[in-house]
Amino acid sequence: MSVETHPPTAAPPDPDTPEDRDGTAPRGWLARKGVGRETVTMLVVPPLLVALTFIGFVVWRQTAELDSVEANQLQWGTLRRLLLEHLQLTAVAAVIVVVISIPLGIALTRGGIKRAAPLVIGIANAGQAAPSVGLIVLLFLWLGGGFWTAIIGLSLYGILPVLRNTITGIQAVDPTLVEAARGVGMTSTETLRKIELPLAVPVIMAGVRTSLVLIAGTASLACFIDAGGLGEVLQTGITLFRFSLMVTGALLIALLALLIEWIGRLLELAYRPKGV
Amino acid sequence: MTTQDPTSTPADRSRDSDGRRISGVEIELTDVVKRYSGQKTPAVHSLSLTVPAGEVVMFIGPSGCGKTTSLKMINRLIEPTSGTITIDGQDIRGRDADELRRTIGYVIQGGSLFPHMTVADNIAVVPKLLKWSKQKTAERTEELLDLVGLDAGKYRDRYPRELSGGQQQRVGVARGLAADPPVVLMDEPFGAVDPITRQRLQDEMLGIQRELGKTIVCVTHDIDEAIKLGDRILIFSEGARIEQYDTPENILAAPANDFVADFVGAGSTLKQLSLARVNELQLGEWTTAQLGDDAADAVRRAEAAGQDCVVVLDDRKRPIAWPWLRRLRSQTRIDVPRREELVTLDRRATLNDALDTMLSSSHAAAIVTGDRDEYLGVVDFESVTQHIRAQEASAVEAQEARS
Amino acid sequence: MDDFIAERWRQIAFDMLQHANLVFQCVLVATIVAIALAVLVDRVRALEPVANAVSAVGLTLPSFALIGLLLPIAGLGTTTAFLCVVFYAVLPVLRNAVVGLSGVDKTLLESARGMGMGPVGVLLKVQLPLAWPVILAGVRTSMQMSMGIAAIAAYVLGPGLGSYIWRGLVQTGGANALNYALVGTVGIVIVALLADLLLLALGRLTISKGVRVA
Repeated sequence: MSVETHPPTAAPPDPDTPEDRDGTAPRGWLARKGVGRETVTMLVVPPLLVALTFIGFVVWRQTAELDSVEANQLQWGTLRRLLLEHLQLTAVAAVIVVVISIPLGIALTRGGIKRAAPLVIGIANAGQAAPSVGLIVLLFLWLGGGFWTAIIGLSLYGILPVLRNTITGIQAVDPTLVEAARGVGMTSTETLRKIELPLAVPVIMAGVRTSLVLIAGTASLACFIDAGGLGEVLQTGITLFRFSLMVTGALLIALLALLIEWIGRLLELAYRPKGV
Repeated sequence: MTTQDPTSTPADRSRDSDGRRISGVEIELTDVVKRYSGQKTPAVHSLSLTVPAGEVVMFIGPSGCGKTTSLKMINRLIEPTSGTITIDGQDIRGRDADELRRTIGYVIQGGSLFPHMTVADNIAVVPKLLKWSKQKTAERTEELLDLVGLDAGKYRDRYPRELSGGQQQRVGVARGLAADPPVVLMDEPFGAVDPITRQRLQDEMLGIQRELGKTIVCVTHDIDEAIKLGDRILIFSEGARIEQYDTPENILAAPANDFVADFVGAGSTLKQLSLARVNELQLGEWTTAQLGDDAADAVRRAEAAGQDCVVVLDDRKRPIAWPWLRRLRSQTRIDVPRREELVTLDRRATLNDALDTMLSSSHAAAIVTGDRDEYLGVVDFESVTQHIRAQEASAVEAQEARS
Repeated sequence: MDDFIAERWRQIAFDMLQHANLVFQCVLVATIVAIALAVLVDRVRALEPVANAVSAVGLTLPSFALIGLLLPIAGLGTTTAFLCVVFYAVLPVLRNAVVGLSGVDKTLLESARGMGMGPVGVLLKVQLPLAWPVILAGVRTSMQMSMGIAAIAAYVLGPGLGSYIWRGLVQTGGANALNYALVGTVGIVIVALLADLLLLALGRLTISKGVRVA
């Protein structure tokens, strides 16, 4: 049976996919790249929101009266370290996910292995039903804490969206185009490289963005297995029941997630082939 | 507010000059204007007209001329900016819009059936809104399916997607007639089906109208359809201006102006083919046989009559096949494969339809049926051409007489 | 492991029910809220981009962060867990309901109006039943997502199986740590699969045969 846990790709028609854009495209280079108004909104509004909120936080941090515990946790040095850890976790896991999922996804659309695709997707879907925190705690109990345990957990969790979108993206390429490519004498590899992959890129990149968001969010749980990240501020806040720490931790995690989602959108735009 | 029980409306109160039963009522539009905000010219520019009770009026005109807007104002799907519309003498604004619509049948292109409801549920929509009893609704559904030529037992519980386009459209018509409304509005009702099916549906609609005598207003873009179905045709130009409102015969014979002449099209002798009905012709006799009859006997009778095929009827005298003799010779009892596609002509079909049907058949002739698909006879190419020649001759005579 | 479960099966069964109960309630509330919002969006088209943006941003927020933001308001315990799960559960249903409602053929709606159905009748008898398969797909997504979010919410003392996972973490090195974490995780997977089956069955019962994908 298939179980959908993964939020952003689960709803059937993603409003951001090219075929669903409305006809009210704005002018300018974005329009020439075939970008709809809604995508533009999602490219402009979140970074502004993030910037404003962050400025608000800085002002508060500089003016608020903090006791020693709070001041200690909210040192700029500490926050910078945690942020870097968070980014590191996200980036490394994302690279691993891409390196594993895209080739695997491509392989699952080739030749005889094709038949295994539904099975692999099914297993991945079922795996996704496991709660992220459970997966991370189990890995911790099995492998011990630290950066690499967290990376394994995050990568496992991030594989599905990219894998699924790679497979569906390639399968969705018009078969007559593939036939035409073979007809003019391209080899199977050339067809993949020059026709199928470029056409599947938008779908694959949507999967990458989804994965990024998922990984960045789940990385906030890394603090529980001694792998750091911004979750630490929030965790400390909850443990000591200090609202300032809770809200700071929550806010920074949220802002980072929004920023990473935004980067994902930029990547999607950058990799979108012309004319598609 | 006056809430009429639509079942007890004018039913049998009048008959027309031919003694035909009329259950429809008169519709009158007076100085009706529809202006959309932000548009300079009104979509409907002061429209006044009377639709007599029991008649079929076809609205036709170029796209965007306001014919559909005019139609939808009658059931208040669109509210007029000014002017009055009365149905059976009552101003429609005096009634709750929903109540009003329940007393007006509405049939649109493709049937527009609700895909999540069965055929029976679709037909029962308005009866349910009117809170009819289950019993009465079920009986009515049965009756209507029979009326539109669908076997109730077979189709009642099907879903729209399990029906062909023509069947869906039939159910759409049945749904429009469900609560026996005196007035039926139709918006390109047969636009979404293939030509043969369309012809069939038009014939059936004529048959139904003959039986019921509703007041029908029907929007179309097909002049042949307008000529065939309409007691009167209303030709619109932009802004829903009336260019001509008259019987098909008069419009063909004397177009009011160049707009109408252009619209009706050249070659109006051929258009006359849409005016003449198959039942105006002398139908040919043909050898018939029942399913299961002795084949040799049928062959003998056909040969005696100098014919090379036999019309096979079922137990309700409906033609089901038209096999050649060579096929019957190899049989002892007449047997034809089920579901053999036999295209027949309703006796109300136009000569235009008849020619179409003959062209697509291998017999250069077509079987004609009457009410409930009962066999009547055969029309052949010869009789149609004779009719055309006779008409041309009389037209020439008429012209000479005038000059 | 066997002993661990055998000793605590009553408690485990209870917590599974608690977990399912929390998620069901949240998804039910979320579905009602989401459909109401979607109907509003369907009437006022200008709200559609807003709804989509809220969905996208909402799904980007990590649940742990939302818990941190809710704690000062709602405190430790069930209320925070409930609010957090409802928030996420609304989003997929909202998105699908907006798509589903706007996907209903406009001529069908007009045809219903033309037959004299009132606006409420059109919504309840035509538009919602036709959008229901898409909405229900959103509910399934929502349900699965909520199972995992409820587990995280157990960190702030929300009910359900999540507490087993957190207890496993706290008791690291202890004899039962792995047992707790395993029972929590696998338990949630089982509850999630059962819930999904229930929703599939609900689909069979509530989606008209005329619009069901064969």
